[in-house]
Amino acid sequence: MAFIELENVGLTFRVRQQGRFSIKEFLVASHKRKKRPGAMRVRALEGVDLRIREGERVGIIGHNGAGKSTLLKVLAGIYMPSEGRRTVEGNISSLFDLSLGFEPHATGRENIVYRGYLQGETPRSLAPKLEPIAEFSELGDHLDMPVRYYSSGMLVRLAFSIATAIEPEILIIDEVLAAGDLAFQSKARERMREMITKARLVVVVSHDLASLTELCDWLIWMDHGNVRATGPCEEIIAQYTQQSARPPALAA
Amino acid sequence: MIDYCAAVWRTRYFWWSLVTMDLRSRYHGSVLGLGWSLLNPILMTAVISTVFCQLFNQDFRSFAPFLLLGLAFWNYLTACVMEGCQSFQRGEAYIRQHPAPLAIYPLRIALGAMIHLLMTLAVVLVLVWIVKGFGNLPALVSLVPTLLTLLVLGWATAVCMGLINVLVNDTQYLIPVLMQVLFYLTPVMYPPELLRQKGLTLLQFNPLAAYLDMFRLPVLEGRLPGWEVLAVGMLTALAVASLAAAGLAVMQRRLVFYL
Repeated sequence: MAFIELENVGLTFRVRQQGRFSIKEFLVASHKRKKRPGAMRVRALEGVDLRIREGERVGIIGHNGAGKSTLLKVLAGIYMPSEGRRTVEGNISSLFDLSLGFEPHATGRENIVYRGYLQGETPRSLAPKLEPIAEFSELGDHLDMPVRYYSSGMLVRLAFSIATAIEPEILIIDEVLAAGDLAFQSKARERMREMITKARLVVVVSHDLASLTELCDWLIWMDHGNVRATGPCEEIIAQYTQQSARPPALAA
Repeated sequence: MIDYCAAVWRTRYFWWSLVTMDLRSRYHGSVLGLGWSLLNPILMTAVISTVFCQLFNQDFRSFAPFLLLGLAFWNYLTACVMEGCQSFQRGEAYIRQHPAPLAIYPLRIALGAMIHLLMTLAVVLVLVWIVKGFGNLPALVSLVPTLLTLLVLGWATAVCMGLINVLVNDTQYLIPVLMQVLFYLTPVMYPPELLRQKGLTLLQFNPLAAYLDMFRLPVLEGRLPGWEVLAVGMLTALAVASLAAAGLAVMQRRLVFYL
């Protein structure tokens, strides 16, 4: 039984304004009369209540910086909520920052193996998937080349092929519908659709409202770290586009 | 705690493949390959031994294995401390994508360093075997728990250094200096008896000296290390491990925000 439940979840980042804490900063600050501003607090999520049940496909929309990706990372267990409770049942696979997390000196094939293991595969479960992954990426002989020589498009192809080769119970996707070149994009879209129908629970962030309507059962509209509205796709998209169309002065 | 260790174990294929990759890529395209990691301590040993034997009338055949063993341990510790500082930064891309236990990134460092230590240890064993004949088997078997203790120490040290470096960026610059100081305070290049003779009793309480004894007594003299030496070694590893566990308990949820 796959489900995700967030109860009154809030998240505060502490961001240092000048990178990390240094001894110099400490020594200088204690001698200065005027105190430098210390850590800046960013309130990324506020009182989020969500219940996503098995079989549901949920989209998240909102402006840039509204907390969509942060919410996804909380759902995926990468960010732990500062307050509130997160309960998740089922194994999660997440697709964010596709071209990150490669070992540059290792070949494409080796990276398939590392990524596979990170996603919880074992040598036995991974072996039959290797060939299909290689095939789907269409990288051919380039797979035997270290990935530091790859173009960013090739990296995206590889990452996408690996990440979508497993069949997770819960699938969390951040804006990867635009992966690779045009030919690969349509193929990726097809694979995505296939995965979304196979997974038992899907949460996806996208700005592509048309795909969201097509893929999702209902939507979450994030605004300044709050859940502004949830509901059926058409209804939320109508509200969202209406609000976005308004001039900013009135929107506040 | 048990859950955490189980989670580390579940990701074993991942971190082990990173360890083997580190080994391969480090010497990728070089002629000697892994041999380079042996060259450093062996060359140091050859040079220092020659000089010391001339200056202080040491016996080259006993001093060289003594020094090589000391350097092997020291290089292991240094690798765990210095590379440990970078362990979480190196794993950043993974940390940002997957909620795996953080301890696996320092473990990658400690295991890599351990493999280098084992290779140097093998060279020393062969050297001693040639010079003195095969040693005392039960004493050599005591190296197994010693190496395990050392792995725990190195892993925990790398965790602590990694966490400190994430919080205070100066750590990675400060640490080489401190390690240099510590090197001379630890009987790596000189026999520990010298400290006793010169009345530097305080330095005898250096727990790192216990680890050196845990290696040197069985390998060079064919004797089991005394219980007090083992106790100091294991308690030190335990203390650092507790510190690392406490650090991880606090930071496991937050570290991603500091990267």
